[in-house]
Amino acid sequence: MRHDTWLDALAGELRRHGVAEQTAGNVLAETAAHLWESGDDPLRAFGPPQAYAAAVADSVRLETPRHAPGGPVRLEVVGITKRYGRRTVLREVSLTVRAGEVAAVVGANGSGKSTFLGICAGLVSPDRGEVRVHGSLGYCPQGGGTSDFLVPDEHFVLVGAGRGMSRADARETGRADAAALDWDPRGGTQARHLSGGTRQKLNLVMAGLGDPDVLLLDEPYQGFDQGSYLDFWQQVRRWRDAGKAIVVVTHLLNTRDGVDTVLDLGERSKERA
Amino acid sequence: MNKTFVVAETALREIARRRGVLAILVLFPLAFYLSRRDSHMGQSIRFVCLGLGWALSTAALFAGSAARAIEPRLRLSGYRGHHLYLGRLVALWIVGLLLAAPYYVLIRFDTDDVRYGAIGLIMVLTVAVAAPFGLALSAALPRELEGMLVLLIIVGLQMMMDPAGSASRLLPFWFSREIGTYAVDHTDGGYLARGLLHAAICLAALLAVVAIASGYRLRQRSHLRFVARR
Repeated sequence: MRHDTWLDALAGELRRHGVAEQTAGNVLAETAAHLWESGDDPLRAFGPPQAYAAAVADSVRLETPRHAPGGPVRLEVVGITKRYGRRTVLREVSLTVRAGEVAAVVGANGSGKSTFLGICAGLVSPDRGEVRVHGSLGYCPQGGGTSDFLVPDEHFVLVGAGRGMSRADARETGRADAAALDWDPRGGTQARHLSGGTRQKLNLVMAGLGDPDVLLLDEPYQGFDQGSYLDFWQQVRRWRDAGKAIVVVTHLLNTRDGVDTVLDLGERSKERA
Repeated sequence: MNKTFVVAETALREIARRRGVLAILVLFPLAFYLSRRDSHMGQSIRFVCLGLGWALSTAALFAGSAARAIEPRLRLSGYRGHHLYLGRLVALWIVGLLLAAPYYVLIRFDTDDVRYGAIGLIMVLTVAVAAPFGLALSAALPRELEGMLVLLIIVGLQMMMDPAGSASRLLPFWFSREIGTYAVDHTDGGYLARGLLHAAICLAALLAVVAIASGYRLRQRSHLRFVARR
């Protein structure tokens, strides 16, 4: 593989992993210098750029302690209990998420993750408990949430109008957020013709339109490839750094994802059993 | 107003892109019209109005069912229930009027000795009632197949039941038979008045059902409170 091709790919992957610009620049300079001096094939010397970037990102995060979030409370979930018939899915579940925090809701299938998020979004009623949202809410459902016969720009305009955005602003913001997920939504492809992963990117972009204070994301990376998955977490970090409170339902929690709080509904369901 | 307009525009785009469905919608009333054209033109006119109502109700049923997936997130994005159902109704009413216009022209040039103004009135009222009727069915019966079967039963009954019987007045398009009689058989104004009253009551009742169902489904649940940012 040519050196410059490999280095370009490495630069892109470091960006995806959220490695700071300066650190990424240093890594690239050192790697390039080594390659030029040794004349080695980069694949043989460092391996695939994706794997090398992941290793760099891991080591950088271990060195850099996560900043302590301490923003004002944006989401307060207090004592949520939900039963379906005789089965108690959620018992006395509480969660507080502050501005600039990411909370992950994890647990096995059927542990009530999506139900919990639906309750936070006000789409499902609990049997007991209360949810307080300080500000506005953006919601990305696990599936659905888009309209088959509309193109992405029309989705942006539709959601944007609800948030009080102008058409041009909604389109522009939607396209910019899509680009951050490595997707160009122009071209007029109707949602029904998008792949599952691209449709989820559309879903995710719609959730973030209008700058909501709290983002509720229900396994939004379904159908994403590895690169898109990294882009997704990079977007989550950007939202966090912009002071959003984010709740992500996931069953794929990676040590590199850097969440602040983990709510394990699987442990709770074991306690119930 | 802007939110309702955007929903209406979006719903129109969605319907316009279902080309196969649109073609069936356009041709559907024609089959009704041609079925009795040779033997009884008056019946043919009544049937074409029913066909219009059936076609538009079906379109509204499917539009309402398709919207269920996206409406909760639109509600969370700042829309109120009335923005959503009014926008969709406006789109369906526009489609209905576009659908009815060629049939009005057809009747205008294909028949003699009928009250054309009254026929135009039937078509406008049918469009007005059919859109909320389909949306109300989609609200009550979330599965399209069930809604479709109920629609089939109601329109079938509408065609078979004696319009003079009191039970037939419970059907949503009874007014079209009544005003149709006024238009085709040149009866007295009582038929017109009864038809108008029936259409007004049906329209008001169906709009109320749509509004209540939408308000209930998209209500803000009592456990969720939005408080001002600190």
